[in-house]
Amino acid sequence: MEIIVCLKQVPDLQQIRIKRETREPVLEGAPFVFGAFEKNALEEAVRLREKHGGKVIALALGNAKLKDTIIEALAMGADEAVMLTDPAFAGGGSAGTAQALAAAVRKIGKFDLILMGEGSADNYSGQVTGRVAELLDLPQITYARALSVEGNRVRVTRDLEDALEVVEAELPVVVSATSELNTPRLPPLTAILKASKKPIKTFTPADLGLAADQVGAKAAVVQTLSNLAPEQERKQVLFEGDADKAVDELLKALQKENAF
Amino acid sequence: MPINIKAKLGVNAYKIDAESHIVVNHQVCQTQCKIKFCTFVCPARVYTLGDDGLIHIEHDGCLECGTCVIACRSDALTWHYPRAGQGVQYRFG
Amino acid sequence: MTDKVDVVVIGAGLAGLSAAYFLADAGIETIVVERGDFPGSKNVTGGRLYLNPVRPFFPADFWNDAPFERPVVKEKLSVMAEHSSTTVELFSEKFRAEPRPSYTILRAKFDQWLADKVSEKGAFIIPKNKVDDLIYDGARVVGVKATDSELLCDVVVVADGVLSFLAEKAKLRAARDPHDYAVGVKEVIELPAKTIEDRLGVSAGEGAAQLFFGSITRGMVGGGFLYTNRESISLGMVVGIEALKQHQPKVEITELMELLKARPEIAPLIDGGSTVEYSAHVIPEGGVRALPQLVGDGILLVGDAAGLGLNMGITVRGMDFALASGALAARAIRDAKAHPSTPLRSTQDVAPFSAVLLGAYEQALRDSFVVKDMQTFRSMLDVLDNPRMFSKYPEAISSIFEKMFWIGDQPKEKLSSTVMREALKHFGNLDAVQDALGLLSV
Repeated sequence: MEIIVCLKQVPDLQQIRIKRETREPVLEGAPFVFGAFEKNALEEAVRLREKHGGKVIALALGNAKLKDTIIEALAMGADEAVMLTDPAFAGGGSAGTAQALAAAVRKIGKFDLILMGEGSADNYSGQVTGRVAELLDLPQITYARALSVEGNRVRVTRDLEDALEVVEAELPVVVSATSELNTPRLPPLTAILKASKKPIKTFTPADLGLAADQVGAKAAVVQTLSNLAPEQERKQVLFEGDADKAVDELLKALQKENAF
Repeated sequence: MPINIKAKLGVNAYKIDAESHIVVNHQVCQTQCKIKFCTFVCPARVYTLGDDGLIHIEHDGCLECGTCVIACRSDALTWHYPRAGQGVQYRFG
Repeated sequence: MTDKVDVVVIGAGLAGLSAAYFLADAGIETIVVERGDFPGSKNVTGGRLYLNPVRPFFPADFWNDAPFERPVVKEKLSVMAEHSSTTVELFSEKFRAEPRPSYTILRAKFDQWLADKVSEKGAFIIPKNKVDDLIYDGARVVGVKATDSELLCDVVVVADGVLSFLAEKAKLRAARDPHDYAVGVKEVIELPAKTIEDRLGVSAGEGAAQLFFGSITRGMVGGGFLYTNRESISLGMVVGIEALKQHQPKVEITELMELLKARPEIAPLIDGGSTVEYSAHVIPEGGVRALPQLVGDGILLVGDAAGLGLNMGITVRGMDFALASGALAARAIRDAKAHPSTPLRSTQDVAPFSAVLLGAYEQALRDSFVVKDMQTFRSMLDVLDNPRMFSKYPEAISSIFEKMFWIGDQPKEKLSSTVMREALKHFGNLDAVQDALGLLSV
């Protein structure tokens, strides 16, 4: 079977720090990675390919550094990669991103299954699965924690936190993955070496037949006004002196703050 | 001078390896080493001497300098680098 | 089938990246394996790269787009007594002229830049991967073992840093002696560029370096350092590990660091700044005496892994040595590859990439500034490793200046008399003469 996995390159959140004075995130210098859920999606695609044969295409959106990041997807087992790195794609939000992905999927043409993460690591709008399914007029199944394919049908266990729902649909279909789906593999050195020799294509908006106002910031329907860390206030109260007395005072202060 | 080592280390980026990259051979430690150099040469205070007389390790604050493994001459420490992609990730260096 | 490449470089620090750059430049298939998230993410420096020694190895325009922090145009040396200090400041137009002799750097940024240069040359850098062991064919190294995979190669360049577990595994290095290593800690303290320039008295874009000796290390061999970056100050402290082990009462370097930050000479320089990183790193200080075996069959050591570091007292070097050793290692590998040594026809033939061929690297290193400088300053550490250097003399120097500048309620004597009397008092004894002779010998 032919599987397309959508991946979004994001700055590694664990490497981002918050500037104390401005509460702004400092992205400079942070390495780029794929989101954790997207790795679950990719891992599942590779496992399906290992079981049923076929091909896995990694379809990734990102910046000029994507050529380094994409190696990881290819090393994990994707057979080939399609990159959307044109700066025009940037800033599209869920709507613009879905437009670009749907157009790229159409351009790729043949596929049985589209897998993506339940939400991106940076914005986590969780909308792209639905939007892509709508644009391609396909069924969508979200929050997969188990997935199997029999013939031309896919069966998915959906994770609804306090309930598990099992659904079935006829391929092709768009499925979003949760972290429960699997444990993504860590590619060995030799797989990484081979990955650098796998085919990588790059599509521009023009390749996808998208006009300038159909991609990137122009296609965004929601505008980001600010992106700041929440304010953290510290009381900076110090209780000194005799331990028993200090503990009493601390308890009183905590009670006053309704901490209990 | 009291030092809040957690606050000092808190500004760093860490990817915490669930598995400790440091292991103490308590038997060797207790029989071969009196001074417990690791408890004061480590700039991250990874090692503390517990009331039980054993060395306790908080490997997740490790700065990966290796001072402990150089200072410990009793071979009580098994110290290797954390697994790939784990441990402290210096953003300035 | 196991994959094979020409060369595997272990560690994307300056030595490993330099080796990979020149190997790729010579058309040799090179893989760099780095355990951190990205090249530089496990690497720490005090803060300054001396560029002049390594310029001849690299293309003239190589450094043009390097992410240097600031060129050092002002050198300060502070001798710290308990409650006073004396600072010598050198400002020289010579240090401001192009090509600049040294720059402050931060490794996370710098090493990523260098790694990009290496990738452009055609070497393949694999981060987030750790080499756990070497693969041998008899005594010859023929590859590396990483998590779940093996990779064969003609030569392994060991650039895994000062602790070099792989040099140890290859039995190229003896057990580590705490006398041969120092531990350094550093805080990167963020401040606006203008504030840094105003406080250190340098022009926009230019930088200063300051070293601190004396009571701050409580008699232990070591010192403090301050380097100006674009928008931060690197402030840190280095102490010999053996000295730290033996010091009575017990003291932690973290505590010395906090006391250094609180010194009234230093506190105003970092006031209002926020510490954005606290790092620690071990420095090889054993010098030529502690050098490991630098080559074996199919293997060579570069940079810190080869123990290439030098404490010259007022300057500490390692990064220029790392870059040079990487370049020289690459040359030796290139020449070994070109050597008509295969197949072995007679006993006169040498095996490909054997220690005999790679030995050219060791010779080249000995002929270069790296080992020559280490040779010249070989007894520096012995001279410095003397509590008088860090407690008695700093007190004496400050005391002389204190008396010279002090105006009290008594008539002041002639300056020459003050200096003579104080100098005799502090330095007119056998120990001091011996220490002075020791210093003169280096």
